Amino acid sequence: MNGLQLAAAATVDYPPSQAFSDLAQIAPIATLAVAMIVAVLADAMLPFPRRGPVVMAISALGLVVAFAFAFGSWLQGGGHSAYFGFVTGDNFALYFEMLFSVLGLMTLAVSHAYVRRRGLYEAELHILTLAALVGMMALAAATSLVTVFLALETLSLALYVATGYSRRDTTSQEAAAKYLLIGGFASAFVLYGMALVYGASGSTLLPEINKAITADQASNPILILGVVMLAVGFSFKISGAPFHQWTPDVYQGAPLPVTAFMSVGTKAAAFAMIIRVFGSGLANVSTEWQVLLAFVAVLSMVVGNLAAIVQSSVKRLLAYSGIAQGGYMLVGVIAGGRDGVAAVLFYLAAYVFMNFGAFAVLTVLVDRKGEHDKLDDLTGLGYRNQPLGILMTVFMLSLAGFPPLVGFIGKFFLFRAAVAGGWTWLVVIAVLASVISVAYYLRVVYHVWTPSAEEAHLRRMPGPLVAVLASGILALILGVFPTLILVAGLTGAAPVLVAAGH
Amino acid sequence: MILTAVWLLPALGALALAFVPTAQARMVAALFALASLALTLAVAVGFDPSHHGYQFEQNVSWIPQFGVSYHLGVDGVSLWLLVLNALLTVIAVFATDRRMPRTRGFLSMLLLLEGAMAGLFLAADLLLFYVFWEGMLIPAYFLIWLWAESGDGRRAAIKFILYTLVGSLLALVGVIGEYVYTGARSFDLGFLATHHPSPGIQFGLFFLLGLAFAIKVPLFPFHGWLPDAYGVSPTAFLVTFAGVMGKTGAYAMLRILIPLLPQPQAWWDWNAVMPVLAVLGIFWGALMALAQRDLKQVVAYSSVSHMGFIVLGIFSLNQQGQQGAVVQMLNHGIIIPALFLLVAWVAARTGTRDRSVLKDLAPRMPVLTGVFLIVTLAALGLPGLNSFVGEFMTLLGAWQLQPWLAVAACVGLILAPVYMLRMFQGVVYAAPGEQLAGPLHEAGRNQVAARADITGSELAIIVPLVLLMIFLGLYPYVVTHPMPALGIAYPVPWR
Repeated sequence: MNGLQLAAAATVDYPPSQAFSDLAQIAPIATLAVAMIVAVLADAMLPFPRRGPVVMAISALGLVVAFAFAFGSWLQGGGHSAYFGFVTGDNFALYFEMLFSVLGLMTLAVSHAYVRRRGLYEAELHILTLAALVGMMALAAATSLVTVFLALETLSLALYVATGYSRRDTTSQEAAAKYLLIGGFASAFVLYGMALVYGASGSTLLPEINKAITADQASNPILILGVVMLAVGFSFKISGAPFHQWTPDVYQGAPLPVTAFMSVGTKAAAFAMIIRVFGSGLANVSTEWQVLLAFVAVLSMVVGNLAAIVQSSVKRLLAYSGIAQGGYMLVGVIAGGRDGVAAVLFYLAAYVFMNFGAFAVLTVLVDRKGEHDKLDDLTGLGYRNQPLGILMTVFMLSLAGFPPLVGFIGKFFLFRAAVAGGWTWLVVIAVLASVISVAYYLRVVYHVWTPSAEEAHLRRMPGPLVAVLASGILALILGVFPTLILVAGLTGAAPVLVAAGH
Repeated sequence: MILTAVWLLPALGALALAFVPTAQARMVAALFALASLALTLAVAVGFDPSHHGYQFEQNVSWIPQFGVSYHLGVDGVSLWLLVLNALLTVIAVFATDRRMPRTRGFLSMLLLLEGAMAGLFLAADLLLFYVFWEGMLIPAYFLIWLWAESGDGRRAAIKFILYTLVGSLLALVGVIGEYVYTGARSFDLGFLATHHPSPGIQFGLFFLLGLAFAIKVPLFPFHGWLPDAYGVSPTAFLVTFAGVMGKTGAYAMLRILIPLLPQPQAWWDWNAVMPVLAVLGIFWGALMALAQRDLKQVVAYSSVSHMGFIVLGIFSLNQQGQQGAVVQMLNHGIIIPALFLLVAWVAARTGTRDRSVLKDLAPRMPVLTGVFLIVTLAALGLPGLNSFVGEFMTLLGAWQLQPWLAVAACVGLILAPVYMLRMFQGVVYAAPGEQLAGPLHEAGRNQVAARADITGSELAIIVPLVLLMIFLGLYPYVVTHPMPALGIAYPVPWR
């Protein structure tokens, strides 16, 4: 009787208007999920030659609509919490949803050209990309430990499969296996950490956790163990040292579009998760996780930059560079506050364009024999295709942090927030580490502009070229007019801090 | 708006060169360089020398959230450096070797460098200044590396960039620290100059910022990159590289360190350390110049020595010294490019830059010898030529700060004639005993070509510089009178 009454009460408390309102908060995510299902059906039913283009069109449409939903909600000042506080459509989530939509579109363009040239199946890769994007967006929108973990697994599973997408390529298979094992390991850490935090706080909802955990609970061993576990698991996901060993191998083995996609997408989603869980859920024990993250940040910057110098494969080089870049972004997370979070959001957007652009350049070099990602393969690129050479130079200089490119402005925002937050020593280490980084970024530039004997012209590939050009132009424009994204970053940072009670 | 045009025009020129066929590249580059020279001259003509502070100001909010603005202005200190930058770029474009590979890219980078340096001289906002400061490294790196005329360009370029980056990235921390610790929440230079942090903070910020500037100058002992970079750089690039870029470091000291951090005292007083380093640099540069055989290296080290005078003048912390430093920046910017051009022309005709091999060029190259003589005399500070004025004012300022500094610097001044005259004499004349055996004599291994003397177009390139040496030597007032407000009544060390 009691159970029945409870069930009845629950149904009464959830009227259709509420359901509709909740759905509106996750409209971009839902759109992509629907697009993915439609794409799967189309892939199953259409005759073979038409599958690829149709799935690509469905995916592109889904991404455009998702972007439109997110942008519309953004213009109206952002959404609110939905589904009993499990997810939210606030500005923080919307910022990432828009970013991921753009990233998805660029990935589609690059994947399309890549599979053509390598002779792989097309449709499934797009579907996996969509699945991963659903996970990423959900991760940015999740406000409960349960949804965080759910989203994390959605994203990871799709990427495990995508990493091994090149089925006849053993390195791709090896990378997928490695990624699966280590990713599962990391997920276990996250899950265990969540369980302990739940044990200490009595809730899985981040706002509730924030209320339950006060600063004087810092001596609670269960809580601290949970925070450490979470920090370790998160560090795996952003490939922060000393939990980075999987990154170079996985990046190298995965097909180029997948590497490009996950190098920026996973990183952005994982940072959204860190900011959401640590910044808003565990804000009152910030001293504890700041120390942990500072350790990871310093190690990432030093190890990533030093290891990148000796690489001969550009994919591996960018993998190590990504480890170091993750370190810089952690500096912003540690600094915290509105400026710190906004700086991370800004840098993530900048990083998406810089890094994706660099990988997209590599895609142009792909032919039927495989990928050509050795530094020597880049030799003379500037003379074989001048615009491509110039753009690669722009991406490298931007990653190295030269003004007036966006990478400089991004670093400036990060370091400014950190110095203002009293983390000057961390900034000095970051700065010295980025001096090291110049050596290898310029090494790529060096190869691009060294004349080579081989003067063969590159075949045109419209997809990657559009992605490269768009990234390059954005890297320049955002460097000169950073306020466009900065304002968005500040707006996006606000909900997290409100939730943290600042 | 005109100031935006001053730095943007060369940058646009660099962009335009990408769409121009190689054959027309020189002409287009020259056109852009001349146009920006005309613009800077227009600024100079419209400049009101009686007005203190910035003129032709443009102030637009850039990143309002963090108090960054796009604030440009020109005052008596930056005015002539701006003109010098434009003038030397014109000379560099005309001095570009026709046989140089990938001329288009080279000229494009030269113009980009001009734009960045012009922006640096104009910036009145600390972050904007930093953007140009870092931005100018990009073209400089490519120019050293891709167009190295001899030796290992890549190595020299990497050395140059790592040296400068260690400094300038730490300077970024300094820039941010200045914003945070002054509590001013602004990057505006004029505003920051009225908001000083405590001496201890100033001490730290002075180190972070000053290191970058000292490396760029270069101030002893941070000059390690200079011999390599100057050694491999093509002459046309050296005209602006040595002529203007070295001055950016000194300019930054005068524009940022002096007004923003007047009291950098904690464990010691940085304002007392800098002049000592400057005097050491004067000595060290001169002694190293004496020891070189390569003419280019002689000039490169003489540059280290001369930059010491400039820094000494800046940190004498009085009006004579700082005005002298600015005058000396211009003088050095006129003399050093002329010396590098002459060395390059000698080397092109004889096939060597080795001082011990070259001799007796005067009979074959009378005109070059005449020009070389004037430039040499200007470089060693002969009264009546430009360098004398600047060095005299600098020493006057240094004496007021501390007489023994001026005395020590004077000893360095005596070394200058030794290495300059030794170079000049050795190259263009023969020792008394060595008799010339007619036009085809074999004095030395140098093979002097038939068309030995400098050509009319080469003469046309260097004559403006020579005329300026004489003009500024006789009438330095034109440079000094727009800058009456230098020399700041801040605590002076050793008092």
